[in-house]
Amino acid sequence: MSTMTINGRLAPLPDDPDALLVDVIRDDLDLTGTKLVCGAGVCGACTVLVDGAPVVSCLMPARAAANTKVTTVEGIGATQLHPVQKAFMAHDALQCGFCTPGFVVEAAAFCDSWRRDKGTAIPSREEIGAALSGHLCRCGAYDGIFNAVAAACAGHFDGVDPNPPRVEARQKVTGSAKYTVDIRHDGQLEGVLLRSPFPHARITELDLAPALALPDVSAAVSLLGDDRMVRYVGDPIAAVAAKDRKTALAAIAAIKMTSECLPSVIGLDAARKPDSPVVFEKSSRKKAGNVSEGAGGPAPWKGNVRGPTAAFSQKPKKVRSWVESARQAHDPLLFEATFRTATQSHSCLEPHAAVARFDGDSLTVHVSTQAVFHLMELIAKRYKLGHDKVRVIADHVGGGFGSKASFGIETTAAIDLARAAKAPVRVAFDRHEELSVTGYRPATEIAIALLPFEQGDLKALSLTAHADTGAATNSTIAALARLIYPAQAKQLADYDVVSNLPPGAPFRGPGGPPMAFALEQAIDEAALRMKLDPIALRKRWDPNPNRQRLYDWAAGLDVWRNRKTSAAQTGRYRRGVGVASGYWLYLWQPGVKIELKVEGGRLIASTATQDIGQGSRTVIANTVAHEFGLEPHDVDVRIGDSRLPEGPGAGGSRSTASVIPPTLLAVQKLKDAIEQNARRKPVAGSNAPWREMIAASPDLCVTSVRPEDSKPTAPGIRSPLKDAGFMGMIFGWMLRRFSNLAVGAGVPSSVQVIEVEVDTWLGHVRVLNVQTGIAVGKIAAPALARSQATGSVIQGLGYALYEARETDPRSGSVLSAGMEDYRIPGIADTPAISVHFDEAGFDHVLGGSVGIGEVATVPTSPALANAIRNATGIRLTEIPIRPDRLISALKGRTAA
Amino acid sequence: MTSAPMTASAPRAEFRAAGTDLSERRRSGVSKGPLIDLAAAPDTIGVTWGADGAATIGALTSIAAIGADPRIAAAYPGIAASALGLATPQVRHLATLGGNLAQRSRCWYFRDPHIACLKKGGSDCPARTGNHLYSVAFDLGPCVAPHPSTMAAALLGYDASIATSQRPAISIGELLGDGSNGTSDHALASDEMIRGVRLPAPLPGERALYKRAISRSHAEWPLAEVCARAVVSSGTFQFIRITAGGIAPVPLRLAACEAALQGKPASAAVIAEAARQAGSGANPLPMTGYKLDLLEGIVHDVLERLAM
Ligand SMILES: Cc1cc2nc3c(=O)[nH]c(=O)nc-3n(C[C@H](O)[C@H](O)[C@H](O)COP(=O)(O)OP(=O)(O)OC[C@H]3O[C@@H](n4cnc5c(N)ncnc54)[C@H](O)[C@@H]3O)c2cc1C
Ligand code: FES
Ligand code: FES
Repeated sequence: MSTMTINGRLAPLPDDPDALLVDVIRDDLDLTGTKLVCGAGVCGACTVLVDGAPVVSCLMPARAAANTKVTTVEGIGATQLHPVQKAFMAHDALQCGFCTPGFVVEAAAFCDSWRRDKGTAIPSREEIGAALSGHLCRCGAYDGIFNAVAAACAGHFDGVDPNPPRVEARQKVTGSAKYTVDIRHDGQLEGVLLRSPFPHARITELDLAPALALPDVSAAVSLLGDDRMVRYVGDPIAAVAAKDRKTALAAIAAIKMTSECLPSVIGLDAARKPDSPVVFEKSSRKKAGNVSEGAGGPAPWKGNVRGPTAAFSQKPKKVRSWVESARQAHDPLLFEATFRTATQSHSCLEPHAAVARFDGDSLTVHVSTQAVFHLMELIAKRYKLGHDKVRVIADHVGGGFGSKASFGIETTAAIDLARAAKAPVRVAFDRHEELSVTGYRPATEIAIALLPFEQGDLKALSLTAHADTGAATNSTIAALARLIYPAQAKQLADYDVVSNLPPGAPFRGPGGPPMAFALEQAIDEAALRMKLDPIALRKRWDPNPNRQRLYDWAAGLDVWRNRKTSAAQTGRYRRGVGVASGYWLYLWQPGVKIELKVEGGRLIASTATQDIGQGSRTVIANTVAHEFGLEPHDVDVRIGDSRLPEGPGAGGSRSTASVIPPTLLAVQKLKDAIEQNARRKPVAGSNAPWREMIAASPDLCVTSVRPEDSKPTAPGIRSPLKDAGFMGMIFGWMLRRFSNLAVGAGVPSSVQVIEVEVDTWLGHVRVLNVQTGIAVGKIAAPALARSQATGSVIQGLGYALYEARETDPRSGSVLSAGMEDYRIPGIADTPAISVHFDEAGFDHVLGGSVGIGEVATVPTSPALANAIRNATGIRLTEIPIRPDRLISALKGRTAA
Repeated sequence: MTSAPMTASAPRAEFRAAGTDLSERRRSGVSKGPLIDLAAAPDTIGVTWGADGAATIGALTSIAAIGADPRIAAAYPGIAASALGLATPQVRHLATLGGNLAQRSRCWYFRDPHIACLKKGGSDCPARTGNHLYSVAFDLGPCVAPHPSTMAAALLGYDASIATSQRPAISIGELLGDGSNGTSDHALASDEMIRGVRLPAPLPGERALYKRAISRSHAEWPLAEVCARAVVSSGTFQFIRITAGGIAPVPLRLAACEAALQGKPASAAVIAEAARQAGSGANPLPMTGYKLDLLEGIVHDVLERLAM
């Protein structure tokens, strides 16, 4: 038997020629810091050192490691943290942390060799970008990574042990943070799903017996619904649990089924045709997924088209007649265009995964989820178990972005299999599944008409959005245009176009980015036609006080003041600057509780929320510590467990606004209790009075519930739904009643200014710099808020420039189901990003803070397109603005 | 995903060098069957130099080693730059030259184990009538997948000869064919191993550049890529050789560009006109016309810099 030396210890290598190094490391040796993400050499999450050189362990045969020295992330900081690890912690070069071990291994090797060759010189951004080009981070932590690697190379972290701004940073940079995919119970089985090879079929017979007859296969369950229908390639049919993945795959292949194939239809254009095959008959419409954060209302259906939902329109007939007359009069101010946005995949680096285990009639499920508490309720309901019998755990979650907010099939499959097999079962999707069937932001086609009055006010606005929702409904895109730029009349209609594609899902600000892509370009065009500064025009048309302040900030930026016109440029490379605005609703979750206690002289704050990278642990720790005059590490934060008091889901940017107010109330209660129970007062003049009081306090426990906000007093601050009239009130009521979400007063806002350089020969866009101005009230954890802001911009740049799910036009099979073909931004694509926080506007919220995650990504794609317009004179109406599209547009051709 | 996969070939033994291409195909189930691990021998790893300054590179030499070799960079800058321009650092460190030349297609239909295609024993090319955004712009055979090998395109431009276990010297053309056989990515016999690559001695004063067009900055398969060698003296192109990848089922020499430059002054006008010839002879598919615009742009870019 051959062996390798791993982190200084001898370890055997398996004889199986197909065993890969990553599997030996993770499964045989339980060194789970090394992550398996793409399995294709693209993302670098599996990077380890082999004889000192970074390699992708997902492609390296285990055999090839014989007689080598392998170092994993656990070996990098084994005796003492590497300077790179400390720098990552100090510069908050991570969010969800799932990519972090891979980055750390590579960056440590780079830093060591740099130091050997160049001493403490600082590497350039280009050098760092090239060295880390084999790594991808979906949270977009690149800005911090640049800074961390540069600082480590410069020797800034040789001695110091930093006090990281993110409380769980140490676990994440050392690889000890356990994610769902890392959970391993004794006797745990591996579950794999059989998925439909057909776009539309009825599974008439399903025979699981041949799978169960195979050795080491413990359970097989059907996942078909009562109608036995599959509606897209990849729709789940059955699941098996076996000793290992290989055995489970063989079992899946052994399942026998007969099916009746039905006519199918793929995508926005085909499914809209009147005679296209219908995906959901009337009786099965409720089986469709939901692409929004809230529940949907009633809407008409015609074939595969659901809509219009047009409740947010305002005098729509007027719009039609005004636009028609303007068209006939050839009014030069009337702007009409059709914009298209692509399907964006969440591409969380940690796949959807669940590990289910029964102990008697108690069920424990580790799930990669954005909603531990709510998921516990849903599981209890479905399996008819008491809340006390179900426990959902998510200590660390490797990204979610909206796709992990629902009760997914990975969870039901794991539970069903665990029950049938009487053993713990893990179901973890592979990358093909992750990039094809776990949800996406639907592609859209948005027709817009914008008509100003001759004297310059906004007269009429019309948006008609068709969303490519696959086997799902409830897109809200056009409606969002109601809450910005008041006009005399608005016609806003949303349609879902259902087809035999996997269902879409909520994705960071659902509907916001595509709406902004169309609307903000229309505003830019209006400014050009009216010969006005685009920021000045927004100031005039958009009275929102939060954005008014951001417009003033943006108008003063040098990059904005010094921009040129497109006419001034003719060479190969052309530069341009663009601006755009965005907003999101301020949402919070009623009923959220925070428990705060003193136990053994330490502070412990608990709530059943989860940290998907946004930083909830830190927000709570900072808030408590600040109030007591302590450091964040003086507070233990317990989250990620449904046994804790009810906490918020991570979605709708609600976490911060839901947890800070009850935390502040709990702090007050606990302070009172500590004082009442104190045997003596702190020494006069003590600079940490609470530290002594807490240390001396008996164990105490208080709980507070999220209070309602106070009445806003600042001018112009009110619920945005008030601006949408009666329907707005209904919408707000429904959201609270059916989705447990409250819409607060004040509008989280963002204004971005982006400078690009366009290579007109290669159709390439280089983003030079981004200024992102954000108004979300007080910033509770500044370093983390910055990470969220820059990460949102980076994800927005991916949306604007690179990302598109590609499908086969006949079957709907997702072709871009590997990370080489689904292109998320890399570190070298990251521009310099400056973040400006405007902290006013939310004084009516206890603590003054609301969420940032969604609003910060809304304006990026239109700001970028407006910058390209400024550089080249060409308006790109379709994203992503890939080289094929840009070069065709520059040459005056239409792209395929 | 799951259910019985379509495999790339009747199960027969497949060589494995570093496995950076093969492992992914085996994990997905596209490739099956016995493996033969290639072990390095003295003549199959590393670079040896002849007295005439010509290099022979062993098939098991890593792409990273080729990219980092200062003598290769001096004598064959197009080879070194191509090696440094492909994949990622962690892949280049493992990947071998032989495996790069013999790697299989990256077409997304080929790589999907649930979809039949010509290279997996199917009867037609699903990309041709389906989504072929990244396919060829020079349609030379029944399969429309571009050849994936960056090194092959560069080696074509250097008139490299390949030594195999069965043939002492074959050209890149003989190794990869002319693109008319859609069922495979190379013309090696099933038990024929690439042992090494011999490069002719460089020309005095020659320079070379490599460039690819991609949407991001790094680590992306090329939409089109070009390796160009030139001897420019007294302001004229004394020698010019331009090869391109990512655009055809095999790497191509851009003969029309070369003809427009050979012996001509290295002027902006000559270069621009030559670049316009880049797509000559192309017959793009409905979705791949853009590749010709990009090809023109890359040729223009490298020629301008070679002329400087
Ligand atoms: C993320 C990523 C990006 C990439 N980008 C590029 C790119 O831009 N350009 C590019 O050219 N490549 C690219 N590659 C491909 C990479 O260069 C190849 O995977 C690598 O060169 C294959 O070498 P290997 O030794 O790992 O081959 P293996 O995976 O071991 O083998 C590949 C194939 O070649 C055969 N083979 C191997 N060695 C021999 C031999 N000596 N004789 C005969 N047959 C042999 C094998 O049987 C197998 O079919 C990329 C790969 C990854 C993972
Ligand atoms: S998991 Fe190995 S590179 Fe992505
Ligand atoms: S921190 Fe990099 S993927 Fe989340």
